Amino acid sequence: MSFARQVAEFCRRDLLTERRAGEVLTIVTPFGAVALMSFPLAFGIDSALVSRVGPALFWVVVFLFTMQIALRHSAAERPHQRAVIALLGADPFARLLGRTAAAAVLILAFMAILFPAMLLFYSPDLPEGWPLALVPGALAGIGLAQVGTLAAEVTAGLRTRTTLAPLIVAPLAVPLLIAGSQALESLASDGGILPWTVLVVATDLALAVIGAAIARPLEEASL
Amino acid sequence: MSKPTPWLRALQVFASVAVAVGLVMALRAPVDAFQGEYARIMHVHVPTSWLAFLAFGITALGSLLWRVRRNRRWDRLAAASAELGVVFTAMSLITGSLWGGAVWGTYWDWADPRMSTTALMFFVYLGYLALRRTTDDAEAAASRSSLLGIIAVVQVPLVYFSVNLFRSLHQTQSIRPGGATMPTEMLVAMLVNLAALTVLYVALLATRMWVMRREEAVTIEPAAGAGVVPPRLEEVGDG
Amino acid sequence: MTIVSLRNVQLRFGPVPVLTGVDLDVGPGERVGIAGPNGAGKSTLLSVIATLRPPSSGEARVFDAEVGTPQAYEVRRLIGWSGHDPALFDELSLRENLYHFARLAGLDIAEADKALHQVGLEAAADRRARVCSNGMRRRADLARLLMTRPRLLLLDEAHAGLDADATAIVEALSRRTVADGGAVVMVSHDRQTMGEHVDRVLTLREGTVVP
Repeated sequence: MSFARQVAEFCRRDLLTERRAGEVLTIVTPFGAVALMSFPLAFGIDSALVSRVGPALFWVVVFLFTMQIALRHSAAERPHQRAVIALLGADPFARLLGRTAAAAVLILAFMAILFPAMLLFYSPDLPEGWPLALVPGALAGIGLAQVGTLAAEVTAGLRTRTTLAPLIVAPLAVPLLIAGSQALESLASDGGILPWTVLVVATDLALAVIGAAIARPLEEASL
Repeated sequence: MSKPTPWLRALQVFASVAVAVGLVMALRAPVDAFQGEYARIMHVHVPTSWLAFLAFGITALGSLLWRVRRNRRWDRLAAASAELGVVFTAMSLITGSLWGGAVWGTYWDWADPRMSTTALMFFVYLGYLALRRTTDDAEAAASRSSLLGIIAVVQVPLVYFSVNLFRSLHQTQSIRPGGATMPTEMLVAMLVNLAALTVLYVALLATRMWVMRREEAVTIEPAAGAGVVPPRLEEVGDG
Repeated sequence: MTIVSLRNVQLRFGPVPVLTGVDLDVGPGERVGIAGPNGAGKSTLLSVIATLRPPSSGEARVFDAEVGTPQAYEVRRLIGWSGHDPALFDELSLRENLYHFARLAGLDIAEADKALHQVGLEAAADRRARVCSNGMRRRADLARLLMTRPRLLLLDEAHAGLDADATAIVEALSRRTVADGGAVVMVSHDRQTMGEHVDRVLTLREGTVVP
């Protein structure tokens, strides 16, 4: 089976599994919406403050919750499953890419649902041309999928997986958080999205290179 | 049980007619001087809010009865009512948001506790539905969700009385002991819509429970072992 | 050419020695059983033979590729492993699981349908693995091996908890592997039952294999 078809196969399996388990859309996403609601309730009623911080808080929620998505139960592979897949001769990087693609689809769906919710709850004053910020935003979502999937692979099989993984890779995702949130700020001050888009693309590429380099050792370490 | 019973069909037809009548009355009712045509949203918003409360109350009742009687019928009642409650709560939030945006210029106001508490109630019952989905074992789903169904209903009075407890943008109750605060014609139209949507709720509830009974009948497969037959080892060649 | 060649293989988990010097040769057409009590290291030994875990010291070669080197990755396709945990994805049906493995192995999905038919799971193939009994799941796992036709078959407690039909599938799988010129290595704590299905039985004792 070609590399591309292996990637597609792993992506398809993860998305089908998630569609049936329904964790992301029916559990994680509503919880993300509750998290978005919790900040204004904690701030007290200050409309000006709430609308000012809305977009940034959206990115904080996305940043934190993408870990939940990458570490969802439906995506967990048991040791024997990993062994069988390794013995079938599947390319470890194809497996990593396929699983990352599935996580990216789910994370982008999560963002697509929560963004209008943020607009509703926070009524931010969005700058002229704000849809342009969706470009670095979507790319940041893909980067978060890469980070989350790497975190899940590094901690595969460990009993502290769901608590340890977010801790060890969150720092890697900070450039994505900054780029995603600052792109909108930049538009507001007529700065354009190019620098932030470049930052996100560079981060995504670096993560892809890291993934390619460590896919095999990661697989071997978890067998 | 392959087709709905005649009475269920009649209820569905009656509900459809009632909703149509209510809609016509809502479109012909007088409007509020300040809110103008936007006031008509009230004829959907208020009934859906009320029905959300009713539905979650029925869920709690069904949950309690299941725990006492352990009859599948009560669990179906609780689950079906929760689904409808989530739908009506969503409709209430959407119509309320549109009404607020049109009349007060804000689609969401944190100064309005009813909006926030209604949204939180919505998410809790989404969680209730997700809880029911996490297991294929009907008994386990009923057992866990019945406990949540009983606990979660405390939100209903909290949402309802939030308007009185906190000074807010939201209207206080339009119908209170001592009389209504709106013109008679408007009140009649709203009450007709309230009744019509309540009939709709009952029809949808009965229909959903009927569908659940059919689903259970279909998924009770032959015993697991019936799907396994002796292997055809003669087909496993020697090379 | 021997299929499995272990020389003084040692393996430690941190300070704990598990294998303390295993010598083992398995050639084509052989069915070898390794018996030992629970915790003796049988599954660990199998994981070394499967090329999934390199030894701490000593030499382990499978199909002449040294375990722990990139050459070992190339021979993994020739190895099949079945343990007490069937490697099925819970939310996929038995059929979907087999199709997934077939595609990854570069096989036509018709081979998966054929294998399910051979193990007698055709009628239950569209049930999700999560709702299937352990016996059905293990049969599906055996169907995977029927489909992929490994040249080295590794069976971990293969007969534990199986009914007569499933045991017959294991036997047919084992016989076909050796008829194809391959080999079978089986581990179990049940020496007597295993002995009926292999040509020779060794014992894993104190981290080493003895006759």
